[in-house]
Amino acid sequence: MDPSQLTVAEAARAIAERRLSPVALVEAYLARIDALDGELHSFVLVLHEAARQAARAAEQAIAAGHAGGPLFGIPIALKDIYKTRGVRTTAGSRRYQHHVPQEDAESWVRLKSAGAILLGKNETHEFAIGGPDFGLPFPPARNPWNTAHYPAGSSSGSAVAVAAGLCAAAMGSDTGGSIRGPAAYCGIVGLKPTYGRVSRRGVFPLSYTLDHCGPLTRTVEDCAMLMQALAAYDPLDPASADVPVPDYRAALGPRLDGMTIGVIRHFHEKDAVAGFGPDNAPSAAYVEAFERACRTLESLGARLVDLQLSPLIDYADANRLIMLAEAYALHERDFREQPQMFGRHMFARVALGAFLSAADYVEATRQRRELCREFARAFAAVDVVVSANATGPAPRLDEVPLWGVFERASYTAPYNLTGAPALSVPIGFENGLPLAFQIAGPPFAEAAVLRVGHAFEQATEFHRQRPAIAAPLPSPR
Amino acid sequence: MAEPISRERFALLVERAGLTLDPERFEELRQGYRFVERMARTVRRRRERDAEPAHIFVHPQV
Repeated sequence: MDPSQLTVAEAARAIAERRLSPVALVEAYLARIDALDGELHSFVLVLHEAARQAARAAEQAIAAGHAGGPLFGIPIALKDIYKTRGVRTTAGSRRYQHHVPQEDAESWVRLKSAGAILLGKNETHEFAIGGPDFGLPFPPARNPWNTAHYPAGSSSGSAVAVAAGLCAAAMGSDTGGSIRGPAAYCGIVGLKPTYGRVSRRGVFPLSYTLDHCGPLTRTVEDCAMLMQALAAYDPLDPASADVPVPDYRAALGPRLDGMTIGVIRHFHEKDAVAGFGPDNAPSAAYVEAFERACRTLESLGARLVDLQLSPLIDYADANRLIMLAEAYALHERDFREQPQMFGRHMFARVALGAFLSAADYVEATRQRRELCREFARAFAAVDVVVSANATGPAPRLDEVPLWGVFERASYTAPYNLTGAPALSVPIGFENGLPLAFQIAGPPFAEAAVLRVGHAFEQATEFHRQRPAIAAPLPSPR
Repeated sequence: MAEPISRERFALLVERAGLTLDPERFEELRQGYRFVERMARTVRRRRERDAEPAHIFVHPQV
């Protein structure tokens, strides 16, 4: 069997049992990248030799009986805003086109310590916000289900690489939905952990109080495995939380008996159109897929209750305003002194922050606290909630509007604003393109969120469906 | 869709921000300014004086 078809869990087991060589696994992924990424553009840098060297070292360690780490020999990729020591890290921008950091992102250090091997760096929207932009040094990644379509962003390359089978798992970042949006459009799993759960140190910031680092994987079990390595207190990240880390994989099971799940329907049924206009109405296929997913959760033993929160726009606009103010402060000097260094999308979107007042920002943070309290009250009555993700299939790549990031209803933003863990899981297809919903929990309840996601996944077949481009490569003659 | 801010008013905001924009970027941002107005409207509401912001000062540990 082509080893690139294995999940992280399957490959890790095969390596541990000496049925699979890390060298063979790395070679399989490198061959796929070489064969397919010319069309997908999911990598901006492929570390052929470094990955081979790491794989050979892993194989030698196995031979010497020193193999260790739950991700031992697993080839992964990093969004190109994760700093990598001695390896170019561009943030998708001409501004850092030749930047070679002196240090590793803490999350990469943790994955490396668990045994992971770095295959390369993934395409990203410029500074995790500006894209898809054809004027950047690297072309935008393309959706593996249909390469004429958008994979969402900003962790575009990471999601595309995982969905197309060009790496076993990848890291993304999420300030308003940049992990969960690409996971939804590419038909994979993406987790935005609790704010403070995974270190942000060494990752190019977009917005200090909203940025989250997290994994993109093919299954929820794989997500749990990466989280086990990633979740830790980092005293050098001011946002890091010193909270015990549970055994995420042990929490997974096939049933949801005894769980109460809140369903937030009004975000997509009413608020999207009321707050953002008629173009934001969910597709009929999406509504049907969402309801079917809810019935599946019920069939697994969960009790579902309707939840009513503040309108979606209250969450989405507070999130966007805070993001804009913090992002503009980060880039103001460069915008004044060398605006030509930035792509059209990144400059236009972030420069809007120049026109916010200090009072606007403070008011948004006051609203944030109010909405966090509302969330906390809601979670007193339920274990987790489910709500929509993107409410239709991916649009064409050449039809993504410049202002879509502000025009469109954002179903993911409430969980950035509240810092709550949120998982995107596939729930169906429309016109051959994936659909997804979100499972979210109170702060640090990743185990419950993963438990629900895993049980749902085991009861459905959506995660087993892969794009045609993810099929094994033809054998060489 | 709301009317975009006038060129004259927007030019003042751009000057105050210290930005130098070519005509294309000026016009693009002028069109996008309506989102700033909407976001500010969404978060500006009457609150009790003791409604604290989400982020408070924390003494750093070194």
